[in-house]
Amino acid sequence: MFSVTSVVKIPMQLTNVTKSFGPTIAVDDVSLSVAPGEILGLIGENGAGKTTLMRIIAGEIEPDRGTIEVGGTIGFVHQHFMLVNEFTIAENLALVGAGDARFENSNRLVRDLSVGEKAAVELMKAIAKEPDLLILDEPTSVLTPNEAQKLFDTARDLASRGKSVILISHKIREVLSIATRTVVMRRGRIVREGGGAEQLARAMVGERTHVAPPLRRRTAAESRLYVRNLSVGTGEIVAVIGVAGNGQAELATMLRDTLPRETTAHIPEDRTRDGVIAEMSIAENLALVTNASAEELIATFGIRATGPRQRAGNLSGGNQQKLVLGRELARNPAIIVAAEPTRGLDIESTAFVHEQLRAAAARGAAILLITSDLDEAFTLADGIHVIFRGTLSERLTPAEAGTRAGQLMAGVR
Amino acid sequence: MRQIAAGALAAIAAVVLLALSGIAFGHAPGELLSTLISGSIGSSFALHGTIVKSIPLLLTGLSVAIAFRAGVWNIGAEGQFIVGGLACFLAARFGLISSLLASMIAGAAWALIASLLRFWRNAPEVLTTILLNFVGFHLLGYSVNGPLQEARAQYPQTDAVAISLSTSGEVVIALSICIASWFLLYRTKEGLRLRATGFNPFAARWAGVHVNAQIARAMAISGGMAGLAGGIELLGVTHRLFERFAAGYGYSGIAVALLGQLHPLATLLSAVFFGALTTGAGELQRASNISASVATFGQAVVILTLIGLSSRAKRGIP
Repeated sequence: MFSVTSVVKIPMQLTNVTKSFGPTIAVDDVSLSVAPGEILGLIGENGAGKTTLMRIIAGEIEPDRGTIEVGGTIGFVHQHFMLVNEFTIAENLALVGAGDARFENSNRLVRDLSVGEKAAVELMKAIAKEPDLLILDEPTSVLTPNEAQKLFDTARDLASRGKSVILISHKIREVLSIATRTVVMRRGRIVREGGGAEQLARAMVGERTHVAPPLRRRTAAESRLYVRNLSVGTGEIVAVIGVAGNGQAELATMLRDTLPRETTAHIPEDRTRDGVIAEMSIAENLALVTNASAEELIATFGIRATGPRQRAGNLSGGNQQKLVLGRELARNPAIIVAAEPTRGLDIESTAFVHEQLRAAAARGAAILLITSDLDEAFTLADGIHVIFRGTLSERLTPAEAGTRAGQLMAGVR
Repeated sequence: MRQIAAGALAAIAAVVLLALSGIAFGHAPGELLSTLISGSIGSSFALHGTIVKSIPLLLTGLSVAIAFRAGVWNIGAEGQFIVGGLACFLAARFGLISSLLASMIAGAAWALIASLLRFWRNAPEVLTTILLNFVGFHLLGYSVNGPLQEARAQYPQTDAVAISLSTSGEVVIALSICIASWFLLYRTKEGLRLRATGFNPFAARWAGVHVNAQIARAMAISGGMAGLAGGIELLGVTHRLFERFAAGYGYSGIAVALLGQLHPLATLLSAVFFGALTTGAGELQRASNISASVATFGQAVVILTLIGLSSRAKRGIP
């Protein structure tokens, strides 16, 4: 009799891993492994627990339960850049002991780079030490299609040399084009492995009650908001889409500083910095803008909280966003400027935010939606502008945008 | 709740360490402690001393608290206190109300110089207000050695002012200002906006708060209160100006405000605590020949303890 001990080194194996943040179960009893040479696609909606799971693998977060075996080194390209802006490319790479051969002029400051170039630096950092496992967290959300292609070539190259890659995304088609195996996460659990785009999509969103946008017929609506070639009529939703960092934040800030605050609602992009005041209670956050009763708003907007006196900083991201939304919409504003109103929200909260925006439009508000979520733009908007390097394209119908948005976002006219 | 506990702990730590430090001077801690207590609250004379010391500390403490609440690091209460005293002295001949008003206006104007530098050149208040303290200090030094020197021209001090303020008058003014500060911060919309500005100026801006207006107003109120403290000190206690007129009340106000967790009502307790400490330390010097500067040592212990406690809280350690 003899026993065989496996000598094949598995780069990563998770068994029954669970992690909660307060009452929220971010990762719920997940078992997952990845084999050498494999490119594992991990898809799921925002808030499904993908990033938490990866941070557990990378050792950045301790799980509450379960075991993790990692048989090698890990390179992690985070969703948010972790670069020193005041350093040059070469200095940033030197920090992790990487060379700068791939860059034409590595003496440029990271601060001056485009997001695509920053992503390239981040990737170089991650693969500098030939990791056995490379994790890419939503790497393409800020990339043009061309830049994304380069990234995927690098991933394939690594896999062909026996390394493993995990690609996190919520873009199904993208994942299918590169992954050798695909798993779907939803509400902290792995709910599906393999399948075509259609099945994956259904697993990703679950039983979604789809609210079709009401058909609204526009007749020469009076213009409420007008900036150069951007105008939004009464009861209209106009979206501005584009790759992040092309002037969206500046546009929102400019509108904040020029539109009359009394009649304008602002939903800022960065809700933790600009949206709520973490140290103050829900009631105080609301009272800054509206005289409406805090209890009523908590009920109407379904904010999960112990009461009006709860610190806003203790709310979950989705509930903070609802707080901002409630505060801004309670006044029945004539104009709404909403920047990334559903970023990081789960499906239900996203649907709720969309519903609220539609209802506000139905009441006659002029809504400008600045978003990097194309699905959101196509679901909600009556008209779409593409922003590229601070310039807005002419207004497109959703149908026109469907064919031209990709090129316009990459700066191809 | 935790904040109150932190404040109490810091105060106790200060007293315990003070008592223990007595060993270094060859005194029994228990004996030292009893001298401290009897010297601050043990007799009506001691009690009066504590009250008189607590009043300027309360006002400078509130001054610092309001500025810090708005996120402005006003370290300049000392200078504002001095110019308040100067303005009060100059306006004394117009009567009590006018001279106290003058001290407030002068303090506010002095503080607003820092805000102007902030808006004009983005100069940090923590620097400009400290530097303005030196300017204020030397302005006073020049005044009492030159144009405002007493008629006899013997000492570097002014003549005594003709009007004065009773201790009960001081108490009424200081308590009213304390309650008004609490009302402003926690019962008015403007107070809400001021605190929002201090917590998170970005979010406040997005919520429609005019952040710069809040900063300037908080600075004016803060400077006004420190200036008033100077005016009250002149009319109620010193009656004349001299170089060491401010006696560190402005800087002590920082410790008072921090121990009071920047809350006006808790600042009242904190001011009385430090007032008692200072008075008790004076008695300690007379009775045991220990330098009264142990009171300053006590302030330092309080601040360090609070810093230690707050950073623990931030790291998530209970």
